[in-house]
Amino acid sequence: MSVYGGDSWGREANYRKRRVDDLLVDQIHKNSSSTNNNNNTNGSSSSSSSYKKLPNGKYAYWRYHPHNPVVDTPLMLSIHMKGSRHCAAESRLKEKELYRQAQLNKRIALSGNTASADTTDVPRQQYGLTSKPLTQRTMKAVSEALRTNSAQQFAIPRIDTVKDIGNPVMKGSSSIYDNAIGQVVADKRLPQQQLDYKERKEKELKFTAAGWKRDGFGGWYKDESVEFDSDEEDPNVSLA
Amino acid sequence: MYLYNLTLQQATGIVCAINGSFSGGKSQEIVVARGKVLDLLRPDDNGKIQTILSVEVFGAIRSLAHFRLTGAHKDYIVVGSDSGRIVILDYNKEKNVFDKIHQETFGKSGCRRIVPGQYLGIDPKGRAVMVGACEKQKLVYVLNRDTSARLTISSPLEAHKSHTIVYSIVGVDCGFDNPVFAAIELDYSEADQDSTGQAASEAQKHLTFYELDLGLNHVSRKWSEQVDNGANMLVTVPGGGDGPSGVLVCAENFVIYKNQGHPDVRAVIPRRADLPAERGVLIVSAAMHKQKSMFFFLLQTEYGDVFKVTLDHDNDRVSELKIKYFDTIPVSSSLCVLKLGFLFAASEFGNHGLYQFQAIGDDPDVESSSATLMETEEGFQPVFFQPRGLKNLVRIDQVESLMPIMDMKVSNLFEEETPQIFSLCGRGPRSSLRILRPGLAISEMAVSQLPGVPSAVWTVKKNVNDEFDAYIVVSFTNATLVLSIGETVEEVSDSGFLDTTPSLDVSLIGDDSLMQVHPTGIRHIREDGRINEWRTPGKRTIVKVGSNRLQVVVALSGGELIYFEVDMTGQLMEVEKHEMSGDVACLDIAPVPEGRQRSRFLAVGSYDNTIRILSLDPDDCMQILSLQSLSSPPDSLLFLEVQASIGGEDGADHPASLFLNTGLQSGVLFRIVVDMVTGQLSDARSRFLGLRAPKLFSVAVRGRRAMLCLSSRPWLGYIHQGHFLLTPLSYETLEYAASFSSDQCAEGVVAVAGDALRVFTIERLGETFNEMTIPLRYTPRKFVLQPKRKLLVIIESDQGSFAAEEREASRKECFEAAGMGENGKKEMENGGDDEDKDDPLSDEQYGYPKAESDKWVSCIRVLDPRTTETTCLLELQDNEAAFSICTVNFHDKEYGTLLAVGTAKGLQFWPKRSFSAAYIHIYRFMKDGRSLELLHKTQVDGVPLALSQFQGRLLAGIGPVLRLYDLGKRRLLRKCENKLFPNTINSIHTYRDRIYVGDVQESFHYCKYRRDENQLYIFADDSVPRWLTASYHIDFDTMAGGDKFGNIYFVRLPQDVSDEIEEDPTGGKIKWEQGKLNGAPNKVEEIVQFHVGDVVTCLQKASLIPGGQESLIYGTVMGSLGALLAFSSRDDVDFFNHLEMHMRQEHPPLCGRDHMAYRSAYFPVKDVVDGDLCEQFPTLPMDLQRKIADELDRTPGEILKKLEEIRNKIV
Repeated sequence: MSVYGGDSWGREANYRKRRVDDLLVDQIHKNSSSTNNNNNTNGSSSSSSSYKKLPNGKYAYWRYHPHNPVVDTPLMLSIHMKGSRHCAAESRLKEKELYRQAQLNKRIALSGNTASADTTDVPRQQYGLTSKPLTQRTMKAVSEALRTNSAQQFAIPRIDTVKDIGNPVMKGSSSIYDNAIGQVVADKRLPQQQLDYKERKEKELKFTAAGWKRDGFGGWYKDESVEFDSDEEDPNVSLA
Repeated sequence: MYLYNLTLQQATGIVCAINGSFSGGKSQEIVVARGKVLDLLRPDDNGKIQTILSVEVFGAIRSLAHFRLTGAHKDYIVVGSDSGRIVILDYNKEKNVFDKIHQETFGKSGCRRIVPGQYLGIDPKGRAVMVGACEKQKLVYVLNRDTSARLTISSPLEAHKSHTIVYSIVGVDCGFDNPVFAAIELDYSEADQDSTGQAASEAQKHLTFYELDLGLNHVSRKWSEQVDNGANMLVTVPGGGDGPSGVLVCAENFVIYKNQGHPDVRAVIPRRADLPAERGVLIVSAAMHKQKSMFFFLLQTEYGDVFKVTLDHDNDRVSELKIKYFDTIPVSSSLCVLKLGFLFAASEFGNHGLYQFQAIGDDPDVESSSATLMETEEGFQPVFFQPRGLKNLVRIDQVESLMPIMDMKVSNLFEEETPQIFSLCGRGPRSSLRILRPGLAISEMAVSQLPGVPSAVWTVKKNVNDEFDAYIVVSFTNATLVLSIGETVEEVSDSGFLDTTPSLDVSLIGDDSLMQVHPTGIRHIREDGRINEWRTPGKRTIVKVGSNRLQVVVALSGGELIYFEVDMTGQLMEVEKHEMSGDVACLDIAPVPEGRQRSRFLAVGSYDNTIRILSLDPDDCMQILSLQSLSSPPDSLLFLEVQASIGGEDGADHPASLFLNTGLQSGVLFRIVVDMVTGQLSDARSRFLGLRAPKLFSVAVRGRRAMLCLSSRPWLGYIHQGHFLLTPLSYETLEYAASFSSDQCAEGVVAVAGDALRVFTIERLGETFNEMTIPLRYTPRKFVLQPKRKLLVIIESDQGSFAAEEREASRKECFEAAGMGENGKKEMENGGDDEDKDDPLSDEQYGYPKAESDKWVSCIRVLDPRTTETTCLLELQDNEAAFSICTVNFHDKEYGTLLAVGTAKGLQFWPKRSFSAAYIHIYRFMKDGRSLELLHKTQVDGVPLALSQFQGRLLAGIGPVLRLYDLGKRRLLRKCENKLFPNTINSIHTYRDRIYVGDVQESFHYCKYRRDENQLYIFADDSVPRWLTASYHIDFDTMAGGDKFGNIYFVRLPQDVSDEIEEDPTGGKIKWEQGKLNGAPNKVEEIVQFHVGDVVTCLQKASLIPGGQESLIYGTVMGSLGALLAFSSRDDVDFFNHLEMHMRQEHPPLCGRDHMAYRSAYFPVKDVVDGDLCEQFPTLPMDLQRKIADELDRTPGEILKKLEEIRNKIV
């Protein structure tokens, strides 16, 4: 099997391209839906992507753009999504959502203040400080989350934590706890992934340093100018 | 970065030596050149070589000669140096300096092939001198006397001959006829023209006589005749009535007598029986000894055998030339036969020897003669002999020599206060590991146990005029023990001392009476046995005492001082009382000045951190003259008087002065100058000595007062060649000490430590280091330290020698042949000091038997330096020799630390460098590192001259290839390589992911290893082609190196380039960037440059004082050690720069080389101040010192203090 050409190369590359296309669409789909989900905090709109697959295999936008552009291929779709116009539209939408969210939070906070005045807040008020239940709760949640995470030395994916903190506010204190548990599980998984990735990277580096090279298929082959031991580990086996 | 260069130990090797009477009269001295240092040595009455004078000349001394004008009683020294000048020196006995009589410029400076100075020929009657170059140029100077009997020198007369190589020049002794010089010459003009090489193969050496016509003032070629092509040296034969005149031509295998109009008289040089046939015998050094009725020559061969050569002659016809085996001593660079019956042999490598003649070889021995010379078809019939033990000579002294230092490392393996310097020295059978410690060597004379733990010790004489001490008095906590000194030291009870009480002081009072001070009083023992007692008033006790010969002051508890004086009748009389404010911590009285009745000063230290100087004059008795506050309470006081000096044997020009030394409880020694008239204190200097408060004692060193300070280790403060030196002694912690003088030991010290009494003497004053020698088998090449296990691993290798087993076998054979039988000594090392007594044929003395030149022997040795025991010695087999060594920890491999050794098999340098194979051996440490086991060896395609560990792998410099190896099961696995190095890699240093590679001809290359690509990149190199001999990693961007021309330099990667390299995430830049003309894309900058004048072989950063700043220590081929210290303040830089500048102007070097030009010999000196020049400041005349000090806005004292301070920062 040659790295640089041969009969099998072109066709395989075609297959690969198609597969990549599929994955790409998948990926785009996921991405956009996840952003949408997070933005739609009140949960009114269920999972729906920012584009529609038309029956003719083309894709059309329906959400951000006032003029609903239509594109031919997933590649173009992805390119479009990186484009400035799309980005501008997207950010406008996000801005709107965020503003709405902020207004909501403000109102909730105000209502919460009058409802529950904690005993701990009393001395603060005496000192003339206005109580900040929202910040407090956030801090509490964060510290809770941090405490549960402290056993794991790996970097906590901050974005997620922050995102999750936004959610429980309206659900009440009990949901914080529930959410924290769920988060622990998620967080455990995440560093584990990172760890795996790091380990894998390190292993790959070790193999390159030991004189292995990669071919075009992601396979490993031995550099001719390097010597190997008879029982040397084969990355094709150990990294498969 | 600004550096201060200071030589810590002067070169110990000798390039050439001459002997003569330089101070005039009957005395005999030796002048030796040690590269850039000129020393005057003299054997003393005990047959020990003493260095009388040592001068750094800041130039390379290439040759030395001496001459004496007719009728004079004194020899002059002629120095051939690299200065482009001829210098005639005269030794000034009074001032102990070399005076420059003449300095004649004849050309350019340097040591190029046509620059004269390499050879010096002297007319034996002292009328002319010839200065020759290796090629073409020869100049003759006529020496004469003017009307006031001063030496004059003429302008040079040329005797040049182009296209001629000169091998040797001597003056021919032809009485008072015109002076004649003889030279061995080779004309290569035809060989140069002929491209076929035929002329070159037919080139012929000639012996040429040059005559200086004193009438015409002209030099002419008088006579030229063919000589053997193996001729290498000429020796003058006495003439003009004393002998037949002419010269001895020493050639390969022959000595030939030649003279104009005389047939050749030829004799073969006897050969050692075991010498391979292919090897010739060459004479390397010669000495002529002439007495009234006879003369003879001593010639030494390259194997160390000395032959006595005599000529049978009838007037000027020589009938027979006889060469008789004399003795065998280590190969020397010069032999000097002194008229006192000594032979000084300046060894080529290893210690120099002083021998005494037992006989002059009159006994029958192997002899070859011109009369019995047999010519056969194959050539002349050789004469064989077997070397034997010394018969005509006996060695009485040796002078240590580190030459050459092959490798050096500084480490504190012995866990002492200061680190030790481990250096590999010497060559072949004279090689050794020397462990140097800062401090003076002592030799212990006696140790004896005492019945208890003593607290103090004194020695006393019975009479002022006695030469030796009479008693040793030891005080215990509740008793006093008196020992009398005679043939033996034994306890006595009739001395008159009170033995039931502890003593506070014991001394000689007046001329002949003794005094014992004890807590309750003073006991005065008169010469006739009468005893006077003085009792303390009331219940008070004496706590401290200070006394000199005529005055005593005691301090009572509570702080009262009582002052006594010895009156005319020898009685001790109370003179004065004085109440101090509190208890007295310590006190001392200055010694009585010469010709006075009393000393004026009493120093009193109090617990309130002050010292007061009180007057003892009757006019203002007990008045406080001055006061000094201290940083901590004083514990001990000592006045030290420095007598005025105007130079002389061991001092420089300085006025008399009085120093008050104080040992503080914080462990600091505080020195302060006391004004001899007013008692004012000034110019304080302090130095931390150790963790205990220093106790100070006065001892005698070379007849002068010196100071012994006992802190956590003992120190000696003394004056040496104008410098006050405070040097640690290499001895254990002592409690109390006193000077000691007896029949057996003129200048010793008696001290107590624990429950033992120790008597010792201090040796080799003026040296910075004392050494411990461990002999090695072959020339040591490199070594590694194992700091955890405290072991050294050394590789040794030699060319043209036999392995130890073969040697042992052949020696056995030889003994059997000689009928001596095996001596029971199976010592394969070259022995220590006493080897020549036990071993009739020690290798150290006789050298190894010679093998074919392509034969190599080598070994790897694991050595425990504490026990000096070799725990493992692996001899490499099969013509293999080790060249590089390192320890390596391979990542995730089971063995732990391994040892990698690079070897080559059958290495040859001539006609072309070649080898049959090269390997890297990997050894495993067994038995806790004390033994080695071969894991495997890997063949490589070049000689691995450099090895280093790098990221859990082994980096090897194999010829011009840098290669990264991993450990495999059966061999090393090549993982990555870079072939872009210009010549041969000879050093590798690593730091993080950077690799600093030293190339043998092209200085440093900075490399980086990229794991993700498994590639080595060179990203920076030097723009100067340095021939690297030593290298050391200073910091991330900086390397220090030494080149083979004697320079030390630092190179640094510019900061922006360094940042760029480090912040190149993709690595694309470093990968694709290319330099011009095959160089690296970036260049390092030279930040420091300094010409040491001696090939630096090893560099290491270390601090030689506890807690001190690190300096870069270097060792050189000539066996000197130096240090480069970084200045810590701009003020110091300015000060020393200016001092150096003034010194350059006011005190130009002795041999005429300009100091600045010398230090910039190859590259302009950059940012280094030469401390060696600055340290010559105290040797200047007083007015010059003052002049320079004025220019610097300081006093000479302050300059001396500065010099002392900076020296103390280094060692």
